[in-house]
Amino acid sequence: MSFARWVAIYGPTYLTGLGWTAVTAFGAAVGAIVWGCVLLLLRLAGPRWPARAVDAYVQLFRNTPVLLPIYIVYFGFPLVGLPWPAVICGGLALVLQNGAYVSEILRGGLKAIDRVQFDAARSLGLTPWNTFRRILLPQVLVYSIPALGSQVVLLLKDTSLLSAITVTELTMQAKLLTEQTGAAYEAFIVVALLYLLLVSTTEVMFRAAHRAVRWR
Amino acid sequence: MRTLRVRRFWTPLVAVMVVVMLVVMARPAAAEEKSRLDVVQERGKLIVVTLTTVPPFAFNDDKGQLVGFDIDIARLITQALFKDPTKVEFVSVTAEGRWPAIESGRADMGVGGTTTYPDRALRVAFTRPFIDSGISVLVSKKSGIKSVADLNQDKFTIANLNNPQMADRAKRFFPKTKVLTFDTPSAQFLAVRSGRANALQIDTPSADYWASQNKDDMEVLPGLLGASQNNGIFLKPGDFKWWLWLDTAVAEMRSGSWYPQYTEIYQKWFSKNPPPQKFYLEPPR
Repeated sequence: MSFARWVAIYGPTYLTGLGWTAVTAFGAAVGAIVWGCVLLLLRLAGPRWPARAVDAYVQLFRNTPVLLPIYIVYFGFPLVGLPWPAVICGGLALVLQNGAYVSEILRGGLKAIDRVQFDAARSLGLTPWNTFRRILLPQVLVYSIPALGSQVVLLLKDTSLLSAITVTELTMQAKLLTEQTGAAYEAFIVVALLYLLLVSTTEVMFRAAHRAVRWR
Repeated sequence: MRTLRVRRFWTPLVAVMVVVMLVVMARPAAAEEKSRLDVVQERGKLIVVTLTTVPPFAFNDDKGQLVGFDIDIARLITQALFKDPTKVEFVSVTAEGRWPAIESGRADMGVGGTTTYPDRALRVAFTRPFIDSGISVLVSKKSGIKSVADLNQDKFTIANLNNPQMADRAKRFFPKTKVLTFDTPSAQFLAVRSGRANALQIDTPSADYWASQNKDDMEVLPGLLGASQNNGIFLKPGDFKWWLWLDTAVAEMRSGSWYPQYTEIYQKWFSKNPPPQKFYLEPPR
C-alpha cells in the first residue's frame, strides 16, 4: 500500500487525536503559566519558608522525568479516592512540572527589571501585591515571551506521554493504528507531520505575541 | 531578516519531507537480501526483539534480569544455532514497537506473548505456535464480578491493550462495560490494582501468573474469551530459509527431538507438562 493511499484511508482517524493533543496542550499551557506566576509570587513574598518550599518543589520537578508525575497522579489519585479522568490527571501532571520551569523562566525575566522600580513603587505607596500585579508581572511576562514559547513547545511534545495513561491523543492514535495495521512507519510519519504543524502554529503565535508587545 | 525567519520556519518541514520520501522509496529495495540465517551465523549472535512486561512470557524479575518462558525459548534456539545459549541479545520494546523492529531488520526475530492473527501476518511472518494461548479476564475480588455476564454492566471498567482484537472482544462479550486502553500489560495490571479498572483481559498464562501473585485481591474468571489462540515467533516475511529453520525448530520443540528441553522449560514456568508430544503417544510420566 502506498503512503498516499494509507493516508487517504487512515488520515481521518487522526482528527480526534489532533483535537485531544491541541486541547490538552492548550489547557496545560495556560495552567502552567498561571501556576508559574503563583510560584513566583510565593518566592517573592516576604517570609522565608514559602520561598524555600518553592525552591524544593522546583528542584523536585526539574530533576524527575515527566512520565513519573503522570503515572503517580493517574494511578495514585484513585487510591486516595479521586478517580479523575485521564486527561485531567495527565494535564495536572504537566501543569505541575511545567509550572516549575515557568517559574524559573519568570524569575529570569524578573532579573531584567531594574531595582530602581521596586523603590519607585514603594515610594508611590503601592502595596507589595499591587507592585507585583501592576508593575512586575506585566514586564516579566513580556521579557519572558520567547522562553515561555519554547517551554510551551516542550509541553506540547510532552503531551505524547499521556498515551501511556489511555488519553487518545496523537501518539496513542498512532500506536492504535500500528497495532491494527502493522504499518508503523506510515502511522508515525503522519503523527510527526501533525506535531510539526502544531508546533509551528504555536511558534508563529508566540512570535506574533512578542511583536505585538514590543513597545520599547 | 525577514527572509531568514521564513527559511528557519521551512527548514524542518523540508527535512521531514525528505525523510518521508527516503523511507517510502527505500522500502521496495529491501527485498533483495541474503537470508537472515546466514547473517545471524556470520554475526555469531542472535538479536531478538521482545516485550518486558508480559509475565510469565517475558518480564524483569526481582533482580532486574529479563526472564520468562519466551526468553527461555529464544535461548533454546540460540543454543541450537551457536551451541551457547548466551549468544543472544534481547531488544526490549513496547507492544507497537515489535513490528518496526522486525521490518527495519533491527532484530532477527521476535518473541514475547505475541499472538498470531491473519491481519498481523500480512505485515510479519509467524512460525507455527510454540505455545497455546487464549484470552482470560482477571478481575479484582472487590468488584464482586463472578462471570463475563456480571462484567457486562456500565458501572464496570475493563482495561484493554491497544490492539484491535481487544476492542473487538470487548464489543462482543461485554458491550456495556467502559473501556480504558493501555500500551503495556503492566499498566493494565496497575489500573486494576489502583481501582481505575475492575478487570482486564490478557493472555491466559499472564492472567494466571498475576492471579497467583495476588491471591488476596485478584482472580481469573472461568473460561476463555473466544477461541484458543496461538503464540508464535515472528520475523520479517519473504525470507524462506530463515522462516523454515525457525519453523522447524518450533516443530522439533513441540513434537520432535527437542521435546525434553521444551518440557523442562514448560515445567519451569507453568508447573505442569506441555500438551502431549504427539496425540497418538502416551504422555510422559
